[in-house]
Amino acid sequence: MSAIALTIDGLGVDFGGFRAVNNVSITVFDGELRVLLGANGAGKTTLMDLVSGKTRSTQGRVFVYDTDITNWPEHRIARAGIGRKFQIPSVFRDLTVRQNLEVANCRNPSVLANLRFGFSRAEANRVDDVIALIGLDAEHDVMAAYLSHGQTQWLELGMLIVQDPKVVLLDEPTAGMTQAETRKTAEIINNLKGRHTILVVEHDMGFVREIAERITVLHLGEVLAEGSVEDIERNPKVREAYLGSKGIS
Amino acid sequence: MSIERKFQIAAYVLFIAVIFTAPVFGDEFWLNRISKYLVYGMLGVAIALTWGYAGILNLGQGLFFGLGAYMLAMSLKLSSLTSLQQGSDKPVPDFMLWNAEPGAPTELCCINKGSFLWLPFQSQSVGLVLGIVLPVVIAGALGMLVFRKRISGVFVSIITLALVLLVRLVMVDAQPVTNGFNGLTDLGWLTIGGVEFDPYSRATYYLCAVCLSLTLIGARLIVETRAGMILQAIRDDQVRARYLGFDVSLYQVFFFVISAGIAGVAGMLYVVVAEFASPTFMDLSFSVTMVVWAAVGGRSSLLGACIGAILINMIEAEVSETEALVEAWKAIIGLIFVLVVLFMPRGLGGVAHDVLRWFVRRRKPAEALPALPRQSEAL
Repeated sequence: MSAIALTIDGLGVDFGGFRAVNNVSITVFDGELRVLLGANGAGKTTLMDLVSGKTRSTQGRVFVYDTDITNWPEHRIARAGIGRKFQIPSVFRDLTVRQNLEVANCRNPSVLANLRFGFSRAEANRVDDVIALIGLDAEHDVMAAYLSHGQTQWLELGMLIVQDPKVVLLDEPTAGMTQAETRKTAEIINNLKGRHTILVVEHDMGFVREIAERITVLHLGEVLAEGSVEDIERNPKVREAYLGSKGIS
Repeated sequence: MSIERKFQIAAYVLFIAVIFTAPVFGDEFWLNRISKYLVYGMLGVAIALTWGYAGILNLGQGLFFGLGAYMLAMSLKLSSLTSLQQGSDKPVPDFMLWNAEPGAPTELCCINKGSFLWLPFQSQSVGLVLGIVLPVVIAGALGMLVFRKRISGVFVSIITLALVLLVRLVMVDAQPVTNGFNGLTDLGWLTIGGVEFDPYSRATYYLCAVCLSLTLIGARLIVETRAGMILQAIRDDQVRARYLGFDVSLYQVFFFVISAGIAGVAGMLYVVVAEFASPTFMDLSFSVTMVVWAAVGGRSSLLGACIGAILINMIEAEVSETEALVEAWKAIIGLIFVLVVLFMPRGLGGVAHDVLRWFVRRRKPAEALPALPRQSEAL
């Protein structure tokens, strides 16, 4: 049994009486790829906000390996080893693709440590590798603002890869993508499998089948079920709450 | 090295060469005027650094300029002849004597309630050091407050704007210490290591030219570092930068402080050149004017903003002294600003950049960029 990379223990948040996430406990093992499933309003994105520090939780704890990161400021959580991709792709629009990745490649986050020029050969090679991986070779010198929607998503994934966090949170990485783009995204994410622990929020079941090992289903802020794709597809509670009577797909 | 890079370096070298050869072309009075414009050029760089590179529109840059100016002016006031010849062996500013209560001792320590604040300024080096330290400390404190609270965008502009007006009010109100509306006039000359900086001398001009050149080169180098790139990343998307592990507020404070330091030095130089310090430095209109210079020159270009500041002031001087345009010169300056904002939103620097790109592409069509897919088409 491998180590537990991410422990979410009884996590919850109370927005003035409304519990968007309530007493959620999930453990994700080192190197696992976990998919979070749930209808709109199930609390998937809020759960990611709580883990990554965007929203402060009102109950429960979060651990990355043995480090308790509950309610730390975002940049410290990031340094503790959690990387996040947003639902709406967010990149540095006025920097080139390469510069975007170089920023993610600055390992030491302090201002004074970064008062130096250029990047070492090893660092440059790493950026080159990631540019090849996300397939933006031809665009490496293009401002991120000019990228297509799919390319922007890949660039953000690339930044995560360069950042090399232990745990990666992906919020709907295929939102708004064409089928071909979705397939390529699945390729990139499959490439991350094993090296990183990944938690993905996703709606697209075709995509989920392509990447998922285990699925956790959230419903109204609570964990409804957890299991393999088949288990979830067969689970009557899930059908009732989320899938209706027709089943997945 | 790319052609664009070579061109950029050439532009900096050319600009610095021009300001250093300028004394050949004019007399002392003209030089004095150009010295002021060079000081304004430094303010342009300071604005471009925060506005263009950090995305922080500071509408109160005049605060740091004014503080720098007042600190040095206090020292220079005490070393002026009028302060030394007030019947005391210690210097006393003339305006304090004019307003002194009958029987008050003619000493800095106690001629009025606040005059003791002037005591350290008997040494010029105190004025020189405080002229940069005070703006830096205040910018640091303000930055920590504002950026730690994650205040951004227009709210930073409003806070800085309010602050400069507040300090201006205090300066005017503290008449016994600051000479209020009249400001500090009749100053002595700055003396460094036995060299006296007569405002109408080449030495003073070169002092400004050296400071501007160092500011330009220093600012350029610092935005070329990794930290400069991270700062631009923060400008584009703070949240993303935070999730990459960067303490966003520290970067903002750091560059805000550098900008304030540049403005402080500019304030001191202005005092050396113009021989006065006045609360008008902290007028709202002056701080806004600086932003206009940077907008015309190109806020995302340090050199552009600097040239913008110098150019606008030269045009302003020219137009306001032409008899036919005496009434209309403010409208002309306003018109230039409107036209620039409408037709070249990235300012002169942006235009230079575009022209260069076009030129490079024409010469090397093979290396032209791939056609950029538009977002709508890709979706």
